[in-house]
Amino acid sequence: MNDILKYSLRFIAVILAQALVLNQIELGQGVQLMIYPLFIFLLPVDTSIIYLLIIAFFLGFGIDIFSNTYGLHTSSLLIFTMLRPTFLRLFSSRDGYDSMLETNIFNMGNFWFIRTFGSLLFMHHLWFFMLEEFKFNDIGYILIKTILSLPLSFLICILVQYLFVNKPSSK
Amino acid sequence: MRNFIAFIRHFRVILLFALLQGIALTWYTTFVQFPRSQYLTTASSIQGSVLSVRNSLTKHFSLSENNKILQAENILLHKTLPHSFIKLENGLTKINDTLHRLQYEYTPAVVINSTYSKANNYITINTGSKQGIKRGMGVFSSEGIVGVIHNVSPHFSVIKSCLTEKLNTAIMLEETGQDGFLAWNGPDARTGLMTGVSNDSKIKEKARIVTRGGAGIFPRGLPVGIVDKYEVIEGESLWNITFKFAVDFRSLQNVYIIKNLLLDEQKKIEALTEGNE
Repeated sequence: MNDILKYSLRFIAVILAQALVLNQIELGQGVQLMIYPLFIFLLPVDTSIIYLLIIAFFLGFGIDIFSNTYGLHTSSLLIFTMLRPTFLRLFSSRDGYDSMLETNIFNMGNFWFIRTFGSLLFMHHLWFFMLEEFKFNDIGYILIKTILSLPLSFLICILVQYLFVNKPSSK
Repeated sequence: MRNFIAFIRHFRVILLFALLQGIALTWYTTFVQFPRSQYLTTASSIQGSVLSVRNSLTKHFSLSENNKILQAENILLHKTLPHSFIKLENGLTKINDTLHRLQYEYTPAVVINSTYSKANNYITINTGSKQGIKRGMGVFSSEGIVGVIHNVSPHFSVIKSCLTEKLNTAIMLEETGQDGFLAWNGPDARTGLMTGVSNDSKIKEKARIVTRGGAGIFPRGLPVGIVDKYEVIEGESLWNITFKFAVDFRSLQNVYIIKNLLLDEQKKIEALTEGNE
């Protein structure tokens, strides 16, 4: 399938899934499930950071206008995108990345995915809840929200890959 | 000039990041307090219609509970109708009441999107400026107050619910008339805070908290909640009162918007008084 078409469809699907499904799941304690960072993470490794930032901005924007969060998701997604190349470099294998392969859990292996995506998602969640709370004397509360939300978001991101991303055919 | 272009080329990623992040943060910090346009929220017609479709699919999930609430309200209203009263004396004629005049009108609306566990919670309803809704009007359900209209478009509105940091609605203890302000800072959608009550007054547990009126947004005496706990704030002579909300924000479906017919008159005379000082 044409790559641009594939990613455009994914873009719309991610916004709708976040706005119509995940935003409606309220588990209490301020826990929020977020899946959209996965979209940015799965974009090709050699995509220019300039394009990534612009895509991230519009993705966050689309989610924000659906959830009355006024720029909260946009800001945290920009942080996520900005840190992505740094973390990819940090955790890269000896011979770098194959630019043809998508960085999903099947291609890169469980351990790599948990380490890289996990730490990026942690930064994203931390920034998100810090901005949402907007005061530092509630740092404990911010951490609780982050620590409770992070594994659940992560689990959903893995689940989505098992459901919708094509597994590489065994050679 | 060449240096400047080289500088921009060198730092273009950081600059773009700072620019986009700046837009997002400006949007966040300005809109949370004072929304200026409806287009970037769920009050906009596109987002509103998408959420309406979703609501038409999911509204049945809490139908039985909402039916019960509506039924209870119907019974209450039936009690006030003439056919529920027995005629005690024949020959009395009804004349037009000149002592009482209608001050508040209510517009019904259906909740199509709502949150209750975020730091600031908003509710989208399917009624907008075409039905006469304006920013700043109060909203309540049959159980108690819900919030204040925050943002309006022709067919949809966004309510700032009681579950936001600063709603600043005046409330009071029904029995003693001690007044304070409504606040909320917890993750729990069931409990709220009442601030500004001085601790030389006695408070009964399970005392009812109602709206104070006064600002012209809510009529006096709409239920807000029931006192749950109270403790002294350290170093201040104020009570910190925790109460249970009368409304269950987690299953809110039908709300009413309050239109105060005498609000203009009240505003006018208040402005006149301030001008004279």
